[in-house]
Amino acid sequence: MGQKEHLRNFGMLAILIIILCALPSNINLYLRSVIMFTMMYVVLSLSWNIISGYTGYVSFGHVMFYGIGAYATGILVVDYGWHWIPTLFVGVFVSFVVSLIIGFPVLRLKGPYFAIAMLGAAEGTRVVATVWEDLTHGGEGIGLPNVENSFETYFAMLVVMLATIVVSYWVGHSRFGIRLNAIREDEIAAESLGINTTFYKLFAFALSAIFPAAAGGIQAYKVLYIDPETEFFILVTIYMKLFAMFGGKGTVIGPILGTFILYIVQEITWVKFPTAHLIAFGVFIVLVARFMPRGLMGFAIDKGWARKGMVH
Amino acid sequence: MQEKAEIRSKYWLAVFLVAAYTIPFGVGIYTDNVFFDLQWLADLTTVILNGIMQGGVYAMFAVGLTLIFGVMRIINVAHGELVMLGAYLTWMFFFYVGVDPLLALFITLPIAFCIGLLIQKLLLNAVVGGPELTPLLITFGLGLTIIHIVEAIFTTDYRTIPYAPDAFQLTETIAVSRSKIISFVMAAFISISVFVFLKLHRLGKAIRATAQNADVAMVCGINIFHIYMITSGLAAALAVAGGALVSIQFGFNPETGVLYTLQAFAIIVLGGRGHYIGALIGGVMLAVIESLISFMIPNGTAMVEIASYGMMVFVLLIRPRGLMGPKEN
Repeated sequence: MGQKEHLRNFGMLAILIIILCALPSNINLYLRSVIMFTMMYVVLSLSWNIISGYTGYVSFGHVMFYGIGAYATGILVVDYGWHWIPTLFVGVFVSFVVSLIIGFPVLRLKGPYFAIAMLGAAEGTRVVATVWEDLTHGGEGIGLPNVENSFETYFAMLVVMLATIVVSYWVGHSRFGIRLNAIREDEIAAESLGINTTFYKLFAFALSAIFPAAAGGIQAYKVLYIDPETEFFILVTIYMKLFAMFGGKGTVIGPILGTFILYIVQEITWVKFPTAHLIAFGVFIVLVARFMPRGLMGFAIDKGWARKGMVH
Repeated sequence: MQEKAEIRSKYWLAVFLVAAYTIPFGVGIYTDNVFFDLQWLADLTTVILNGIMQGGVYAMFAVGLTLIFGVMRIINVAHGELVMLGAYLTWMFFFYVGVDPLLALFITLPIAFCIGLLIQKLLLNAVVGGPELTPLLITFGLGLTIIHIVEAIFTTDYRTIPYAPDAFQLTETIAVSRSKIISFVMAAFISISVFVFLKLHRLGKAIRATAQNADVAMVCGINIFHIYMITSGLAAALAVAGGALVSIQFGFNPETGVLYTLQAFAIIVLGGRGHYIGALIGGVMLAVIESLISFMIPNGTAMVEIASYGMMVFVLLIRPRGLMGPKEN
C-alpha cells in the first residue's frame, strides 16, 4: 500500500472526527448517548477483531475485560472517592495483567477449545464478581454518583475509539499484523519461520484486552449502576462478535461499518421487540457464519467494489 | 521421546485428579467445615452417593456431545440448550397433558431426533470438514435462538416438576432422593442401550466406521451425510433425554443451558473427546467433584461453574487426550 492510500484513510478518519466533535452540542441527550454507545461498540468489536480477526483465536468471553474496566471505575469512584478519569487507567492496567495471566495458559489451546475456555473464563469472572462481596458489593451492584456527564463520557469514548482505530490500523499495516495473520493461517508454519508465536499471541491478546476495559469504565460512569449480571453479560460478547463478523473480521473498516449498521438497527428494534430482536440476532449469527463468513467487506471485495488494500 | 511424554502426561493427569479431589477437603478443613465424626462421615457418604447418581445424568448429556465430536469433529455449543429444551418439553407434557415425565420420553425422543436431523441437514452438513470455527459460530447462534424462543414462550421463571421427591433411606443416616435413583437407572439404561446399538447394530457400526475415517467409510459404500444426520439426531435425542432427567431433579430456566454446555464440554474433555465410555466415566467424576465442592467449600454452589471450567482447561493443557481418548495428530 502506498503513501497515498494511508493519506486517504487518515483523511476519512479526520472527517469522521470532525463530524463526531461537532455533533454532541447540536443533538439531544438521547441521540448523544446512542452515538456514545455506538462508539463503545466500535471499540469493543475492533478490539475483539485484533485477537479473533487477525490472529484467528475466536474469543467467546471478551466481555470479561469490559466488566473488569467497569468494576475498576465503579469501585474506585464509589469506595475510594477517585476522580473517574484516572480510574480508567487502573482498569486498563488490571485488565492488561489479567489478560496476561489468563492468556498465557489459555492461548495454548487451539481453535474451539480457546473459544470455550474464554466462555468459561468470562463466566468464572462473573462468579468471582458475585461472590467477592467485600470488593465488588456482590450481586446488589454498585451505584455511582449521579451527575450530568453526557459530554465528558462522549468525548472520552471518542478518544478511546480513536486510539482503538489507530492501533487497529497499525496492526493491519505492520509486520506485527502480518505475523498475526501468519499465525491465523498456519501456526506451525509460522513458528517454523522463526516467529515467536507465544509472544505475538499474548501481545495481541493483551492489546485486545485493554481497550474494552477503558470502554467499560466510561460506560460504568455513564450508566451510573453496575452489577455482575449486566457487566459480564454474554450478550455484550455476542454483539462485538456479530458486529465484527458482519462487517468483515480481519479488517479495520469492517467492524466499524458493521457496528454502525447493526447497532443502529438494534437500537431501533429492541424497544419495540425486546425478545424477538434477540431471536433475530441468533438467527443472524447463524446466517452470517453459514453464508457470509467473510462479512460485508469480503463480499465487497468479491464483487469488485473494494480493493483488498482499502479495507485492511 | 514421544512415548516418554505420553507416559509423563498420564502421571500428571493422575496428580491433577488427586489434587482436584483433595482440594475441597483442604479448604473444608481450613474453613472448619470438616469434623471427621460419625455424623459428618455419613453426610459425606450421602454427598458422594448423590454425586454418583447425578453423574449418570451428566454422562447422559455428555455422550451426545462426544458422539457428534467423534463422528464429525464438530463442537456443538447448542448442546446445553437442547438439554434445556428437553426439560421444557417434558415439563410441557407433564403440566398440560399430564404425562408421566419418564413416559413422555416416548414422545419427546422422536421429536428430538427430528430436530437433530433438521439441524444437521440445514446447517451443519455443509460445514463438516471445513474450518473448525464455522460450526462453532453456527451452533452458538442456534443456541442463542433456542434460548430466546423458549424465553419468549415460557418467560425466565424457574420451573420444576414435583416427581418422587421423597428420600430413600439406605441406612438410618444415609439417604438418597428417589428421583435421583430413578434418573440414574434411566440414564444407565439409555446409555448402555445406545452403547450396545453402536457396537452391534449395522447402523451403529457404520457410525463408528465414519468416526474412524470418513473417506474410507465413503469408499465402502456408507452414505456419510446420512450417517451424520443420524448421529446428530441421536445426539439430540440423548440431550433431550438428559433434559427430562434434569427436569425431575432440579429447577431450570432458559439460561441454564449455558452451564450444561460447559459441564458437558468439561466431561468430554476429561473422558477423552469422542470416546463413549470416557464420557460416562468423566460425567460421574465431574459430578462427584462438584458435590464435594458444594458440600465443603462455603459459597460452593457458585464455585461449581469454576470447577468445571478449571477442570477443562487443566486437562486440555496437561493431556489433551483426556483419560481414554484416542491419540490425535
